[in-house]
Amino acid sequence: MSVKEQFIENAKDGKVLTHKCTSCGFLHLSTVYYCEKCGSKGFEDAIFNGVGSIATYTIITVAPAGFDKYTPYAFVIMQLDDTDLRISGFMGGIATPADLPVGTRAKITGFDERGIIIEKQ
Amino acid sequence: MSFVEKVCVLGAGSTKYGKLADSIGDITTQASVAAIDSAGIDPKEIKAAYISNVFGVADKQVHIGPVLMSNLGISDKPSLSIESACGSGSVAFREAFANVAAGYDCLIVSGVEKVTHTGTDWTTTYFAYCSDFFYEGQAGASFPGLFASMARAYLTEFDATEEDFAKVAVKNHQNGLLNPKAHLQKDITIDDVMSSAVVASPLKLYDCCPFSDGASSVVLCSEKFAKAHGGDYVEVIGSGRGGSPAALQGREHMTTIPSTKIAAKAAYDMAGITAKDVDFAEVHDCFTIAEVVDTEDLGFFGKGQGIQAIREDRTKLNSDISINPSGGLKSKGHPIGATGVGQVVEVYDQLTGNAGARTVKDAKIGLTHNFGATGASCAVHVFQSV
Repeated sequence: MSVKEQFIENAKDGKVLTHKCTSCGFLHLSTVYYCEKCGSKGFEDAIFNGVGSIATYTIITVAPAGFDKYTPYAFVIMQLDDTDLRISGFMGGIATPADLPVGTRAKITGFDERGIIIEKQ
Repeated sequence: MSFVEKVCVLGAGSTKYGKLADSIGDITTQASVAAIDSAGIDPKEIKAAYISNVFGVADKQVHIGPVLMSNLGISDKPSLSIESACGSGSVAFREAFANVAAGYDCLIVSGVEKVTHTGTDWTTTYFAYCSDFFYEGQAGASFPGLFASMARAYLTEFDATEEDFAKVAVKNHQNGLLNPKAHLQKDITIDDVMSSAVVASPLKLYDCCPFSDGASSVVLCSEKFAKAHGGDYVEVIGSGRGGSPAALQGREHMTTIPSTKIAAKAAYDMAGITAKDVDFAEVHDCFTIAEVVDTEDLGFFGKGQGIQAIREDRTKLNSDISINPSGGLKSKGHPIGATGVGQVVEVYDQLTGNAGARTVKDAKIGLTHNFGATGASCAVHVFQSV
């Protein structure tokens, strides 16, 4: 299974597969192949629960093709608990900013044709 | 970085920006002919062309370079197409700059885009392909949506309001009214912006630049070539490029674009100037939030203070620093492959006394800032009048 496929399988289980540099310990999303800090290619898997809080987001009303049926929906960027990493994803059922104050607790609940799915906790 | 030759812009031309009927090949040619006529050269003096374009496939024409060269009567001359999303134009300009600096005496850079006929849905979709698609486009993020995410982060972090963002649009529309080639020549108010339809909260329709068709072209040459031809020219004194994490999620700060800071530092260092020396700047205001962030990242204002500058009218035409005298992407329009070249056209017109009613008074140094996607790629250039 490719790294990308492993990442997707983890997301389906509500987890985030990250890669920890074995040289310097810097943490990356698993789709990185060389360490951003030290350039090393050695990584070990570090799997986190896909939970965190909403760092920022938008509610999309003019959607790209294929997303009309979901409008209005949110594209969110979530700060993962216990790491410096953030991760983006699709969140359905959000109509106004009152539905999703910045800082709202959220979690990854799956992966499908809308990419990483994030829901409010 | 050191170069053999000083590099000059000897001529510049643009089509009108907007919804254009002519084909992508035809508008590329129209802008190029305007630049060649402006330079007062024989096309046969051009050694090569750099073409910036993103979605040629939407108008059934990729490999635009040979079409242009054939139309210019120089089909034997080489050309190269460059794609760097909305920053394609400045990257093509940079490549031509480097080649003139290395010894080519005369090159042409022509940027073009032709997308409006595909409609809002498909243009929105195509543009989303410029994001880090796995994390962003795939999850339904549009470009307004990505900049809206940046805007919400800015509203959360700093003392700013949506009305402040609206003021950027009002200012740039005022400048665009003075530019006969601008796409949206319309005077608007803060109320107009605030009451326009929400595209991607908190950004509304008038916070967003339009989808535009258009082409822009400049002739670049060595100083020796420029002097021998005797026409008006401006000198390119600084050139820098930079990169950022492709996805917003990977940025240390979501209200700062790292590639802008890297490109600006390189351009300022090459020019031997600081941000304070810049008289006016054409910056990448694809959305109102972008202009605020750009003016901070370029060093014109401190972090979080770009919004105060807007509130105090410090970036209006002939104020502290004129930002986007052309009307910017917001009003002049954003034919994405042409935009970075079009910014150079504006600087050329300003520094050679051809900017008419939107002239920045006593301007000696102009800057262009153009990025791709949410600033994953960026180029900054600094120009000086001679």
